[in-house]
Amino acid sequence: MLCKQNLETPTIKAMLNTYHASKLPSNQCGSSLVQTIDAPLPLVWSLIRRFEYPQGYKLFVKKCTLLDGNGGIGSVREVMVTSGLPAGVSVERLDKLDDDKHVFKFSIIGGDHRLVNYSSTITLHQEEEEYGGKTVAIESYAVDVPAGSTVDDTCSFANTIIACNLRSLAKITEEMVCKANQIKV
Amino acid sequence: MAGICCGVVGEGDTPAPLEPTTRPSRRRSLDILPLKYIADMAVPPSDGSRKRPKLDLRDRDNVVQNCDESTGHKVVKKEAKVEIHDNISETKNVTVADASEVEDSPKFGVTSVCGRRRDMEDSVSVRPSFTQGFHYFGVFDGHGCSHVATMCKERLHEIVNEEIDSARENLEWKLTMENGFARMDDEVNRRSQSNQTFTCRCELQTPHCDAVGSTAVVAIVTPDKLVVSNCGDSRAVLCRKGVAIPLSSDHKPDRPDELLRVQSKGGRVIYWDGPRVLGVLAMSRAIGDNYLKPYVISEPEVTVTERTEEDECLILASDGLWDVVSNETACGVVRMCLKAQKPPSPPGSPGSDVAADGSDRACSDASILLTKLALARHSSDNVSVVVVDLRRDQRQSSNSN
Repeated sequence: MLCKQNLETPTIKAMLNTYHASKLPSNQCGSSLVQTIDAPLPLVWSLIRRFEYPQGYKLFVKKCTLLDGNGGIGSVREVMVTSGLPAGVSVERLDKLDDDKHVFKFSIIGGDHRLVNYSSTITLHQEEEEYGGKTVAIESYAVDVPAGSTVDDTCSFANTIIACNLRSLAKITEEMVCKANQIKV
Repeated sequence: MAGICCGVVGEGDTPAPLEPTTRPSRRRSLDILPLKYIADMAVPPSDGSRKRPKLDLRDRDNVVQNCDESTGHKVVKKEAKVEIHDNISETKNVTVADASEVEDSPKFGVTSVCGRRRDMEDSVSVRPSFTQGFHYFGVFDGHGCSHVATMCKERLHEIVNEEIDSARENLEWKLTMENGFARMDDEVNRRSQSNQTFTCRCELQTPHCDAVGSTAVVAIVTPDKLVVSNCGDSRAVLCRKGVAIPLSSDHKPDRPDELLRVQSKGGRVIYWDGPRVLGVLAMSRAIGDNYLKPYVISEPEVTVTERTEEDECLILASDGLWDVVSNETACGVVRMCLKAQKPPSPPGSPGSDVAADGSDRACSDASILLTKLALARHSSDNVSVVVVDLRRDQRQSSNSN
């Protein structure tokens, strides 16, 4: 279910196979979403990796509090969700944070919402110059299909949230670049 | 007892009551009917008639709290508190600015409470005589944050006023209100793009506010018409000779025509804690919410209703009320409050305090009672209620003047 993006470069292919190709049990569904971002990879990564501050780029976050740890692997955060959404609180654990390979993985371990056994992996990649040289963010997830829901509905809901967040990430970092360039002029 | 007597005397000072009554019978009707009805509606009855002055005091305190909230200093309440919007200062400003334009505006009452939610995201806007002979009432139930509802409260009546002015010779209400709502939506989205400062907390949390929106139900009361424009799941209900007549239809995503409209745009309605557009938003129309366009639109449904002698009141409220109180019950509560008080008397003169102050005890009591009923029935949302007295004797008095 990958979006139409140029995912044929050797580096991206390798990352996809390594981090985004898990097989799912029958009661789960999942998908991958891709966002191309016209901003330097280190800048984009600096927003993604802050486990204690998801509102730096994510929508729908009212407040975030660390319940355990200091932002490193194993930390647990409690995210208060903005009103109007079918969720109030989400409790999440940081499972992997690789600053060299730019891999960020977290799981939802509690809260009041319908996303059970949700886990998500975000990776960043630099496109080769011949393909544009931009940053590519890929997020894939797996989650139980709730009783009474379908695979399509569950993926559609999760895809909507993730797509909003990735678009927001692109918008924010690209605007940061614009502002920096304006200062130089 | 003394407090009640003072209250009665105060009301006796109202000029030229239409139906003179003896003090004992008036006091008796004031004391007995509301309490009885309260008991019937399973709201905890007040301890006795002497408690009523206390209610006033608490309400005055809450007005101050409400002012604090509106300036952005949000307070998380441990208990639900009833807040009354007192529009004396606003209407007096209107009087001072241009006395010749002040016409008799309908009596109204307003409450807007946080209820059991964490944050207050509702707004209410009451603009008597906001343009020549027309009166404006609006309820806005925000989601995601409060600033879209706040912008609607502050700007929508101005935008509508401009649309009315530009359509002066050929006023077509549907088109006028659709243009007004579209401009309001544009203004909201332009602002969220430009990173302008908001007084609400989301400035500190989320640099971009595509995911904030609000309902908008607006009623314009003219001498001969009621114009209701609705976008979202707040609601306007007319009480006519005891019958509840909905003047708006909730934009729920599973309403058959809304479901088809969303699907025709390539969207989906997913049942995720109820029907939601893309599983996310529990309404199919809203001001703002740019991230869900073109599935969630800001186009209002407009109804124009001729006023009649039988019209008693108009109720505008957010779904914090309507989710737990039926149209019929709400009308019954308001009718009881209006009957418990003598018909409103004509104002002594256009500039008098009575005329300038559009708020009214019976209407305020009705809005407070409806709010308390919603909370007693475990509404889990903000609750905002506007009650407008449409009774004819007021208009007749106005005409005779």
